[in-house]
Parts: sequence; C-alpha cells; structure tokens
Amino acid sequence: MPELTPAATASPLRRARPAILVLAVLLAAFALLPHVYGNLSLLFTLMAFITLAQGLNLLYGFTGYLPFGYVGFFGCGAYAASLLVLHTGWPMLVCVGIGGVAAVAMALILGPLLRLSGAYFSIASLAASQILYFVVSNTNLADVTGGPYGLKIERVFSPTGSYYTMLAILLAATALAAWLRLSAFGMGLQAMKQDPVSAAMAGVPVVRMRLLAWLISAAVAGLCGAAYAWNISVFYPDAVFTLQISVFAIVFALFGGVGTVIGPIVGAVILYSLYSAIGISTPQYFQLIYGVLIVLLVLFLPGGVLSLFARRGIRVF
Amino acid sequence: MELLEYAIVGGILYGIFFSLIGIGLNLIFGVMRIINLAHGQFIVLGGYLAFVLARDLHWNPLWALPLSIVAAAIIGWPLYYAVVPRLQASGDPEMLSFILFFGLGQAVEALTVLGFGTDQRSLPSDAMGSGNIGVLGQEFPDSWWVAAAVSLAAIGLLWLYFSRTKLGYATRAVMSNRDEALATGIDVHRVSALAFVAGLALAAIAGVFVPYLLGSVSPDLGGELTTTSFAIVIIGSLGNPLGTIIGGLVFGLGTMLMQTYYSSWSNVVPYALLLVIVLLRPQGLLAKAARNA
Amino acid sequence: MSSELLRLERVNKRFGGHVVLADVSFAVAPGEILGLVGPNGSGKTTTINVISGLYRADSGRITFDGHPVHHVPMHKLAHLGINRTFQVPKTFRDMTVRQNIEVAAHFGHAGAPVDIDSILRDIDLHKHAGKTAGSLTVNQQKLLDLGRALATGPKLLLVDEIGAGLNPAELGGIADLLRKLSQRGIALIVVEHLMAFLGSITSRVIVLGAGRMLFEGSLDAASHHPEVVAAFFGGEV
Repeated sequence: MPELTPAATASPLRRARPAILVLAVLLAAFALLPHVYGNLSLLFTLMAFITLAQGLNLLYGFTGYLPFGYVGFFGCGAYAASLLVLHTGWPMLVCVGIGGVAAVAMALILGPLLRLSGAYFSIASLAASQILYFVVSNTNLADVTGGPYGLKIERVFSPTGSYYTMLAILLAATALAAWLRLSAFGMGLQAMKQDPVSAAMAGVPVVRMRLLAWLISAAVAGLCGAAYAWNISVFYPDAVFTLQISVFAIVFALFGGVGTVIGPIVGAVILYSLYSAIGISTPQYFQLIYGVLIVLLVLFLPGGVLSLFARRGIRVF
Repeated sequence: MELLEYAIVGGILYGIFFSLIGIGLNLIFGVMRIINLAHGQFIVLGGYLAFVLARDLHWNPLWALPLSIVAAAIIGWPLYYAVVPRLQASGDPEMLSFILFFGLGQAVEALTVLGFGTDQRSLPSDAMGSGNIGVLGQEFPDSWWVAAAVSLAAIGLLWLYFSRTKLGYATRAVMSNRDEALATGIDVHRVSALAFVAGLALAAIAGVFVPYLLGSVSPDLGGELTTTSFAIVIIGSLGNPLGTIIGGLVFGLGTMLMQTYYSSWSNVVPYALLLVIVLLRPQGLLAKAARNA
Repeated sequence: MSSELLRLERVNKRFGGHVVLADVSFAVAPGEILGLVGPNGSGKTTTINVISGLYRADSGRITFDGHPVHHVPMHKLAHLGINRTFQVPKTFRDMTVRQNIEVAAHFGHAGAPVDIDSILRDIDLHKHAGKTAGSLTVNQQKLLDLGRALATGPKLLLVDEIGAGLNPAELGGIADLLRKLSQRGIALIVVEHLMAFLGSITSRVIVLGAGRMLFEGSLDAASHHPEVVAAFFGGEV
C-alpha cells in the first residue's frame, strides 16, 4: 500500500507542494485541452469520472467502506438540481450547489448504514441506491420527478458553463483528497481504517469521523451529478442512477490505487480513455477487460497500479 | 379474495424457488467466508445451459440439472484453488473476495453477452409439463411446481449431507471454526472446494428454472439476482443454510403480494427488504451472532 | 473521593447465559498499582474491557475521577484519562511508529502538546520511529501499544498481560517502566499471569474466579487463601 504523507516535519507549504502541483496540472490540462481536442463532451465525462473516482476514494481509501451505491448520490444531485431549475428561477450555480446539499442530506438519512461492516455496507448502499432509482422513475410519481420519462432542463443548457463548473468540482474533490492525505484528520481516518478499536482508544471519535467522510464523499458525488445534469440537460432516470456509474468509479479508483490523491486520477484517465476507444461501440469487451483486470488486481496488485511505485520505495502522493 | 390466495400460494412457490436461488451464496459464505458476488452470473449461466440444450440439441431442459453439476465441478474446482486460498491468506478476505468475485461476475457477464447476445431468451413452455396444477383453487404452471419440488429436494439433500455424512460433519466443523477443524486433521481445502462447487452447482440448477419463473433469461439479470440472493440470505441469516428457506419465503410472498396489489413498486421489494433487515437485525431472523460496530 | 480515582460498584456482565462478571467491586487510588489475577476465563480481560468502554456493564456503576463512566464511549474515556493496552497488540500496522504515537497525541490529548520523542524513549522505540508498525517484533508492538496509550496522557492505565512471552531481561525493563509511570502519578491495573513479575511492581492484588471476586489484599496472603488456591489448582485444598 502506498506510504503516507511526505515527512511530517517539513513545513506546511513544502508538504502541500505535491497537492499544488497536481491541482495545477489538472487545471492546465482541462482548461487547455478543449482548444486542441474538439470532443468537449468526452473531456467533460472524463472529468466527471475522475471526480467520482476521487469522491469514492475519499470514503473507500480512507475508511475502507466501499459504497456500491455511490451513484445514488450522483443521481440525487442531478435530480435535485434539475427539479430546482424546473420549478424555481434560481441561478444554475445555486441549483448545482443545492444538488450537493441534497446528496449530503440523503447521506445523513442513510447514515445508519455506517454501523454495518464491510460487505453488508456495500450491498446495503447498493440497495438504497436502487430504491432511490425505482422511486424516482416510478410512473406514479411522474408529476413530481418526471417518472420514467426523465427530465428536460434545456433552458439552462450551456456546454461551457457546465464544463468549467465540473472542472471546479474536480479541483475541489482533488483538494479534499489532498487535505485528507496531509492532515491530522486524514491520519485519524487511516488509523480508524486499520484498527477502529485501537483508534477509539487513541481518542479518535470513530463514529463521527466516519460520518464526516461519508458526507464529504456524498457531497462530491452530488455536485458532480448536478453538473452532469446541467451538461446533458435531457436525461432519463437511468442515465444518472445506473449502476454502471458506481462500477466505473470503483474500478477506476481500484485500478489507480486508493488512499492516494493521484491514484483515482491515473485510474480514471487510463481506463476511461480505454473505454472511449473500445467501450462505446462494444461495451462487453470493455466489461470483460475490467472484470479480468479486477480479478488480477485483487490477486496480485491490491494496491492498484501506483503501488508498483510504492514497492520500489517511491512515495506516492 | 381470489387475488390474495393467488398471491399467497404463488408467493410460497416463488419463495421456495428463491430459497434455491439464495442457498448457493449462503453455502459458500458459510464454509469459507467468501462472498461470491458473481453468484447471479452463475445462475444466468445455468439458464443459458438449459437454453443451449433446448435450442441446439432439442433436449428437455431438465437435462441441464445434472449437466450443471458437472459444469460446476469443471469450472469450480480449479477456480477455488486458483483464488480462494490466496484470498484467505490476505489481510481482508471478506472485502477482497467481494471485489474479486465482483470482477469475475463482470467478466462472466461480458462473456455471456459475447456468446449469446443481449436478447432475452426463453425456453419451451411445455418442456416441464404443459398444464397447470392447482391448490386451493389457484393454478400455477407445471414448471413452477417442478421448480419448487427440485428446490425442496436440493435443500433436503443438503440437509442430509450436513447431518448424515462424514463430509457433511467435516463441513459443519469448518463452518463453525476453520482453524480448529484444520487442527483436527480435516482437509479444510478439500471440504471447502467441494462446498464451493456445490454452491456454484446450486446456482446453476436454480438458473435452469429462471426462464420459467422469471419469464426469460438474459445476461443483465445477473446483478439483480445477486442482490436478491443477498437479501434472501441476509433475511434468513448469513451462514445458516436453513435460514435461506425463511428468506426465500419472505421474499417470495413479499414480491407476489406487491405484484398483485402495487405492481409498479414490485421491483423495490428485494432492496427494501434487504435494507430493513440489515438495519434492524443484520444477523438475520435466525442467527444469534452479534455484529460489530 | 480525592483518594479514589476509579471505583467499580457491583459490576455485572453476561454474554447470553454465561455470567462473566458477578458483583465486581473495587477501587484504585491515583498512582497506585493494582494487580488483577485469576485463572483463564475468570473475567480479567472483561473487567478491562468494561472499564475502558469496549463492553458495557449490564448493571453496576463505574466512577472515574468523580464522573460516572459506565456509559461513556471509548474515545471520550480516552479524553477523560482512561486507557489500556491490548493482550494481542493492536497497532496501526501500515503507519510508522512515530505516526502511531502522533495519532494518539493529536486525538487523545486535550491538554498540553505531547512530547512524542520522550514517549518514544520511554518505550525504547526512538531508534525505530520511522519503521512501519507492522514490521516490528511482537514485543516491540506491545510497547508501541503502550506508547499509544501513554500519548493520550492517561490517569489510569489498564495493562493486559504485557508480560506474556517476554524473557527475564525484558520483564525487568517493563517492570521498571510501569514503576516509573506509577511514580508519575498514573494509576495502573495490571492483569498478569506471571506472579513474580507482578510481585516486583505491586503488593496489592485482586483475585477473580469465574467472574467473582475471590480475594483482595496482598499477593502473599492471596497465595495462602483457600478459595484462591482452589480456583487456580482446582479441587480440595
């Protein structure tokens, strides 16, 4: 597993250097790429998946809880933002923000799930996400949520606006991951992950911190979903609640390496690029590849691709 | 109320079948603490085996039952030895197996699509009897009764295995304490491999009936079947094979009743059941085990 | 109240039908070392688990520093000044020795900043500060576990069979450390099987048998007490 932070004795600015570097690279890359590479939509979706992988990493990498139902928060944000657009005249950015808040509210409601351990939690979160999907897409609720017919918010359609909003969300998610990696809070999370009883005896408020990580992770997904809804503007329920989104986020994060900041970024960039090359036309080949990849990863490289560097003694941020 | 009687009798039949659906998952977890997230995809494979036999060889799909056992042995035995001992030696076997089998399930699903396409496939409806059998004035297709009978037989055989055979005793020993079983000279890996194969076989056997009880089989059913199985197993109690019957019945009755009265919400049933049980009583309706915070 | 740091009053604990602690009552003064002995299964570790909040007592009271603590969550107990070691040491395996102490220093100590280096020296791990906890020997991990507890600035430290597996030289070192801690004002409850080791650090013991308190007094008198002898050796005296 990749080692923890740069030397704790270094000054705060020096310790934050890798974080600033990563943020700068991301900003430069996604601000400049649209000028050389015309497919804005692909870049946008790539940013969304990096964000989701990072958001998932915030929970899984630091607490060991793997939310199979992560997409539920994404959908929550998408629907909350879109419904606000349809029923109020509030500016889009406010709606996006409230999308994030809605996801946090849902996470609070689902807070009791955190009492569960490992696999129970994963499956229960999946069940919760599916229930959300079925509720939202139920024909009886079509008047409120659009039901199976989905939502249309074309009046706010703005490829550039949504693009830069997603970029901002991506940077925020990355900054959060960096903060967890460098801060005492993050260290407490790591301790909890390794041994919750010992951590409690070290004074770590285990339950409260776990909840906080959960809420932060949900917020990232919610904001991401809201920005995504803004970008595509017309969507059916399963576009924002499909399990495939959770699966991709998990696979990308695992492949890159959880518990680090650049792991999810690397994983998402490599695998999503692969997906866009072969997966859209023949999704089953991509599915086969990542299925086999996961099996191989668990057997031989559970720390993800970046752990190859950690094995050589290179510290991974 | 005709509707209610239909829902109840149907729910019981459906529920018995779903106990079979869930029992393979429970057996594997009970014996080796591995969560086979590819369970649903193996069920689907059983369905496709029956489909191939019917379509290409014109055999009665019931032949898929013994063939499933053979196939499970051929695939399961090497799969066990390739994967499980390594997982158990790792730092977090439960979660790692969860993720590994999730990946395996995705790969199997992809292969199924590549092999058969994404269409829904059904089986000849009269292969298991062309009539209906009625109880309490409610009629259900023969295939449902055959499925329930096979499920009960399979569960009965499993019970006999556990309570009457030497290997069964050894398996129970491994289930209750792996290290102690090892210390008493039981070949834990062989016992576990056998249970693993049995778990896959049970899944495939259940899969043979899926086209009859669910209408058709298609590759994407896998994920849903896994979650449903999980719900059933957790309701009964994870690790206790007999509990799966309770779980199946609760699920079967719940689904039938929902389909009869509020059909647009019927697909919420397995997920809602799972959430409720897991939050209220995660040890299931039967187990006494305490859970960790 | 001022001469008593911890008091247990009629603490009971059962698991299912099995009674693990029955009417356990005793007190510990600040800076005192109290031994807790008994055959296997007598409830020693359960007593520690109940005091440190891992288990909740079914009935009875536990008062610490004047506050009732039998319903307080573990991390709050750590803040109040109760801490413990684990029979099988629970360290944060993938974190370094120094980080293990840092976690406790940051989260467990509300008061003055903790001198991590002096704790590392106390537990004799300052030369290994950069190694991961998982790479230490079992005995070093026990010491790290102890260091983690110390970093929270405890007033009461529960030590669970720390002597197991140590050679005489190591035992002597631990005995010195425990005595030093007691001199600093930290009260200790030391669960032990090794009587000579226990005898070298304290004179007051409590003997448990099948969850009941059999004896409270000096170690010497304990070894002559008929019920104690019966509990350890069984049968008629």
